Amino acid sequence: MEDELMLNVNHLSVEFKTKKGTVHAVRDVSFSLKKGEVLAIVGESGCGKSALCKAIMGVLPKNATTEGRVMLQDRNLLTVKEKERRRLRGSVFSMIFQDPLTALNPTMTIGSQIAEAIYIHQPKMRKEEVKERVYELLELVGIENPKTRAKQYAYEFSGGMRQRSVLAIALANDPAILLADEPTTALDVTIQAQILTLLREIQQKKNMATMFVSHDLRVVNQVADRVAVMYAGKIVEIGTREEIFKDPRHPYTWGLLKSLPEFSRGQKELFTIPGMPPSLLTLPKGDPFAVRNDYALAIDYEKEPPMFEVSATHQAATWLLHEKAPKVAFTTPAVFASEAGPVEVAKSTGTEIIRVNHLTKEFRMPGKRRFTAVSDVSFSVKEGEIFGLVGESGSGKSTVARCLMDVYTDYTGEIFYDEIPVHDKEARKKYKKRLQMERQMIFQDSTSSLNQRKKISYLVTEPFRIQHLKPKRGSLEKEAIFQLSYVGIDEQSMQKYPRELSGGQRQRVAIARAVATDPKLLIADEPVAALDVSIQAQIINLFKHLQKEHGFSIIFIAHDLAMVEFLCDRVGVMKNGELVEVGDTAEIFANPKHAYTKELLAAVPKIYKEGAPCEK
Amino acid sequence: MRKIIGRILVFFVSVLLLSFLVFAISRLAPGDPLLSYYGDRVEKMTPAERAWAEKKLGLDEPILTQYGNWMQNAAKGNFGISYKYKQDVIEVVLERLPYTLVLGGIGFVLTFGLALLIGMVCALHEERWIDRIICKVGTVTSCIPEFWISLMLILIFSVELQVLPSSGAHSLTEDSFIDRVWHLVLPMTVVVLGHLWYYAYMIRNKILEEIRADYVLLAKAKGLSRRQILYRHCLRNLLPSYFSLMAISIPHILGGTYIVETVFSFPGIGKLAYESARFKDYNLLMVLCILSGITVILGNMIAQAINERIDPRIRAEEVFHDER
Amino acid sequence: MMNDKFVVVGRLERPEQTVTKNVPWYKEHPVVAEMMLVILFSGCFLGIPFLPKDPTFMDILKYGIAPGKEFFFGTDTMGRDIFSMIWYGGRVSLSIGILATLISTAIAIVVGAVSGLAGEKADTLIMRLTEILLAIPNLLMVIFLQAILGTPNPITISVVIGVTSWMSIAKVVRTEVRQLRNSEYILAARMMGGNFFYVLWHHLTPNFISSIMFMVVMQVRSAIVAESTLSFMGIGLPLEIISWGSMLSLSEKALLSGNWWIIVFPGVFLVGTLLCITEVGNYIRKRVSAGDSML
Repeated sequence: MEDELMLNVNHLSVEFKTKKGTVHAVRDVSFSLKKGEVLAIVGESGCGKSALCKAIMGVLPKNATTEGRVMLQDRNLLTVKEKERRRLRGSVFSMIFQDPLTALNPTMTIGSQIAEAIYIHQPKMRKEEVKERVYELLELVGIENPKTRAKQYAYEFSGGMRQRSVLAIALANDPAILLADEPTTALDVTIQAQILTLLREIQQKKNMATMFVSHDLRVVNQVADRVAVMYAGKIVEIGTREEIFKDPRHPYTWGLLKSLPEFSRGQKELFTIPGMPPSLLTLPKGDPFAVRNDYALAIDYEKEPPMFEVSATHQAATWLLHEKAPKVAFTTPAVFASEAGPVEVAKSTGTEIIRVNHLTKEFRMPGKRRFTAVSDVSFSVKEGEIFGLVGESGSGKSTVARCLMDVYTDYTGEIFYDEIPVHDKEARKKYKKRLQMERQMIFQDSTSSLNQRKKISYLVTEPFRIQHLKPKRGSLEKEAIFQLSYVGIDEQSMQKYPRELSGGQRQRVAIARAVATDPKLLIADEPVAALDVSIQAQIINLFKHLQKEHGFSIIFIAHDLAMVEFLCDRVGVMKNGELVEVGDTAEIFANPKHAYTKELLAAVPKIYKEGAPCEK
Repeated sequence: MRKIIGRILVFFVSVLLLSFLVFAISRLAPGDPLLSYYGDRVEKMTPAERAWAEKKLGLDEPILTQYGNWMQNAAKGNFGISYKYKQDVIEVVLERLPYTLVLGGIGFVLTFGLALLIGMVCALHEERWIDRIICKVGTVTSCIPEFWISLMLILIFSVELQVLPSSGAHSLTEDSFIDRVWHLVLPMTVVVLGHLWYYAYMIRNKILEEIRADYVLLAKAKGLSRRQILYRHCLRNLLPSYFSLMAISIPHILGGTYIVETVFSFPGIGKLAYESARFKDYNLLMVLCILSGITVILGNMIAQAINERIDPRIRAEEVFHDER
Repeated sequence: MMNDKFVVVGRLERPEQTVTKNVPWYKEHPVVAEMMLVILFSGCFLGIPFLPKDPTFMDILKYGIAPGKEFFFGTDTMGRDIFSMIWYGGRVSLSIGILATLISTAIAIVVGAVSGLAGEKADTLIMRLTEILLAIPNLLMVIFLQAILGTPNPITISVVIGVTSWMSIAKVVRTEVRQLRNSEYILAARMMGGNFFYVLWHHLTPNFISSIMFMVVMQVRSAIVAESTLSFMGIGLPLEIISWGSMLSLSEKALLSGNWWIIVFPGVFLVGTLLCITEVGNYIRKRVSAGDSML
């Protein structure tokens, strides 16, 4: 009974016709899903995992064409009539989405949206019964006071509650198959942990077959029974959780695992997969991963590898598994970690570059209300130090950054930059130029921090243009070339507009612009949060590298604790506008004092504990 | 409650300001108001006669005093007489108002009813032939000036085919319901055609925007059909913007009838306003401007209220106003 | 031999895959509309010396002649050649359309940018005042402006139309500026020490220009409509100054005498021009929005 097959996907391909050409989002994907199991699909953004989900659900946009078969028992879902598919959607299949806010209809109450899902499939159900069922579902997903909550709108719910509501909608008709498309990506770590536990609980209680799409290996490790790794529209490796995490065979899987910060603990740099994922518009000949693969074989550039069988449950698409190929072994991080010495902490002894005393910042809300974003925060950062500021969304960490950069000046408390009292208007005026040159900021979203209508060459040299400075490298153009090459952007990109670059490249441009003036202090507000794992690692390395070269201080704001642990010398933890704990990174991570820090650390899913994938 | 009082206050201040502005502009602009009272006789008047006439009409005092007097009388409900019609302005306006209300009101309902229908048909068949044809035809109609389409309709239906009357609200010899409806056909066509595509296109695009929202995907995943999603979710979410669009457009359509009224010699207040402005019939002008001003301001306020009250999305924005 | 293929070669440089656009340029552009506009503009502005008749000459004996060999589009009630008048008058109508648009756009950008960059209170005040201005019937404004400016000529008409039609663009500029001023690249520029004018010129203008471009083009259209409507109603250009609007002001007489060509030909030119402008406007809008969705 356990092995009852629910869904069988056979040679499924999905293509989108767009103005720029045909996007091959899913290419010849086959797998099966059994009752009661969780299959995780992992991959970077744009690898086709969302399209795969939508294809199975039958909710692809109009410009998509599909090929192959999606078999539910003995019916091919791709060929059944739309009416029949509709009957299956929501009753046999359900789906939850990445962004619960936009997924919920803003003008309908949560209760009525759940009720709708019920009586669309059970139109004869009595009104009272539907109501009871709605309350039951809300309770099931852990929403308290279901009777009052059912009458509220999405905007009255927090992010986690919204995702719970979407889950309630998905569970309305006890589906046999649940598709979860990055359900926790938009949520904070602690909320993510709650939702994952809930999902796993319900999945086991209802014995649902679940397809869990995610880019986060750590999350996948927590929920999955089996894992499929996708790259450029294909499944490149599929196997049980243990097989994938303990004995991965595809170089891409190796790369993904090695990019995890805990893998590089004690190392100088994070491991990265070089390059970028290919565009699904024009795929190169052979294996699309070859250009990023240190172990690429000659044949990889000619022919795409087929699936090789490792075990009955484990397959991987790499020529390395061919009998003639050289044997390349992959070592699990356990060996790495034990080999590495104790974490070396670069104790910075320099003078204080920034000192914050009792910083408090309030916002006026509509009406007479006030909202305290930052309350009584004090800390200092030394020269050449990387200071991490961690906290969940709404904890006030970005507001601190903006106060430090004089974006907000109506705060109370003191901020000293290199002994300049920047809370004082006169001092700000007096040292204006110096402050503008020596302090630079990098934002989370490189799309909005770079003017879309200016060329890269202009953007990089903007500080020189604004300050009318003569660049060190002679002309503005030479300076731009130099700065860009420094962060790993080639000359050809100079004449491009930001939207023609990838997210990682754009962030590099933003960094180049920030370091162009030889700053002493760099404030980076969630600089990697919007990027893919492998690109995140590249950017973190870049930060580390630049810091070493220039010796400036960095205030690194993030919610990803693993990144902070790797990069930062000291850490401050923020919650609801207060700084609850400050200390050396090693100290805080090994020995958290504050209850919230402990909670935060506990919520981070871990893959490798003492050498082996940790058990569920 | 405080909000409502605030709104009412804003309304009155706006109307007051408006009345003063209109008063000032109309009196400061060159032109002879006596012309509309005395007609051609003005030219033969001696300066003494003129002075006497101006005093009689209260036009000899400084503008501020004139405005004060006007305000005092207006507060008592006395808005003065029309120079041209030598009648209480309220009477003059009330006599004409029903015509405009019928023309503009029915035109308004027809326009918005049809606009929603066309917008829906287009959105449902986005980029298919029916949508393309409607869009092309619509664009063409939106490019035709109202007065010219009026002329063409008269040329075709009244001059050439001689099936529909070209002017007036009813025949001189006959005044029955059917006759009145008959006279309304052409002006009404122009009123509706003049605005239809503008709103239909707007509604079409709004629906398309809604269709692309994420919640449609969830609704689809629930198992709802296209039709159900459109009616239960998209249209529902469209309604606030639809109603507020209607509210903003009341003055637009009602007040925009003057061209049609002029071409078809239709005795509505649009034509009256045109005449009063051209010939400095001050008292009449003031009443008409304030009337139209009130509809504009009220329309805007209703639209704003609809947006804030009915649409939870805007409330949501308020809640997350300054939090980043 | 086979074994060569299974040698680790590692990462190799590969030529970057370039995405080829498969839509030819002429499919994106509204070619017909653009060609027609080119013909129209060159005819109106350069073709005057080549007209078959003097458009201003009133041949009293030859009034109301139907279209034929001598007068392609017939003559009007005063015996002027309609074909020649259309090209001659088109110059005035088009000029008014453009001049009025320049005026209203300039006002709109100033008011919109000031309101958008101003503080909460000043902004509310400016917007409320604009709303009250909007509440004054447009017709009244036009008539009084006319009275102040004196005898109508193309320049005064342009001013009148420009001054009464800037509000909607101003609103868009304001909303855009409000949104833009919170964007992070503005913040970044400010942090680097960019002053108000640097930000306005380098960051704000390039961004909102594209979003008002469509409205500006459409403004040309409504200005041309406004001129013709005003002239038709008898409060615009007088009969002696030939424009499409003033030509159409003879319509009432034409209706009585059944001279349909007096109404139809100028009208067709008018509507055709408006249609071409609309097509171009729609193209601009599509291009702008397509650009944004590529992100």
